[in-house]
Amino acid sequence: MNGDDTPLLQLEGIRASYDAIEVLHGVDLAVPVGKVVALLGPNGAGKTTTLNVACGIVEPRAGKVVVAGRDVTGVAPEELARRGVITIPEGRGIFPNLTVRENLQMATFAGRPLAEIEELAYRQFPRLGERRGQLVGTMSGGEQQMLAMARGLASNPAILLLDELSMGLAPLVVEELYGIVAQIAATGVSILVVEQFARTVLGIADLAAIMVHGVIRTVGTPEEVEDELSAAYLGGGE
Amino acid sequence: MTVQPNPEGLNDHPDRVAGFQAEIESMKVKAGGGQNEAKLLALGIALGVAGLALAIYGGIMVQNDANEYNQRAFMATGSYIGIAMLIGGAALFVRYSMARYLRFWLIRMVHESHANTDRIVAAIERASDHPR
Repeated sequence: MNGDDTPLLQLEGIRASYDAIEVLHGVDLAVPVGKVVALLGPNGAGKTTTLNVACGIVEPRAGKVVVAGRDVTGVAPEELARRGVITIPEGRGIFPNLTVRENLQMATFAGRPLAEIEELAYRQFPRLGERRGQLVGTMSGGEQQMLAMARGLASNPAILLLDELSMGLAPLVVEELYGIVAQIAATGVSILVVEQFARTVLGIADLAAIMVHGVIRTVGTPEEVEDELSAAYLGGGE
Repeated sequence: MTVQPNPEGLNDHPDRVAGFQAEIESMKVKAGGGQNEAKLLALGIALGVAGLALAIYGGIMVQNDANEYNQRAFMATGSYIGIAMLIGGAALFVRYSMARYLRFWLIRMVHESHANTDRIVAAIERASDHPR
């Protein structure tokens, strides 16, 4: 994997809440250039909120979001997306009642022509090309996830934020998708992956962070955090 | 499942990271939008309450003072300014509470649309599994 250790995305002392309930209690996390960072932890740990803070959907109560060395806390998510901070949300964020082609059309907001987006998407995921006129809601979960990825990649991301890529998918499909994620990182894209089920993503991650109860408990290489994982999932986070 | 794990075409520019850094650097950062919204909503409420209090105070003082000159002064500084503050506060409150409400409404509409499509797809699948 290429890249150096200069962080392209940094969260510094992030505190975030939903109304009166604080869910992140001072999160520090860095995603270096061209690296895959896996954010792992049990359900309700605050992983998705962390991702939403990183992409600007949730504004932190305290702390800073630093992108490419610049404090962008509070910047609108569409502004960040336009510049290359791309999120593929949990549930894929696609429109099930539109066709594959119409969904890809949604990615033209960044200024790339549809023909170019389609060419890139169908070259990378030929299955999507075969189904370009099909309603997305009628496709399999794996194909829907591919479409979500294709749409995200069409925006030429510099930072890719993936939320629960494996959700509802067969292990074989998950493995294939993570193979693609690793190759995307090899092109210099910095990737933050949020996952509840850790094993597959650890195979491609450069760094892993374990989150429990709204705080990052451990950050290290996949080998270093492996021992901590079971404790975190079995409630040993106190 | 056919997957072509070839990122060819991605990041055609080798200096994508440098370009990204330059773009972020050139951004006109208008940070704190959400916080401003919450502050303006609170300001709207505060203005409304203060304006109402001032208008009532002005009204009472006008009634309790027989001097016409004092009555005008109370009307001007109390009721008129109070009513203006009340209207301004109400406008701010409506503007920023509605923005919040409409955002939730939009999210709900999208969610319901997804749920409806899922139901239709499930019904079609059930129908195709059991043809008449």
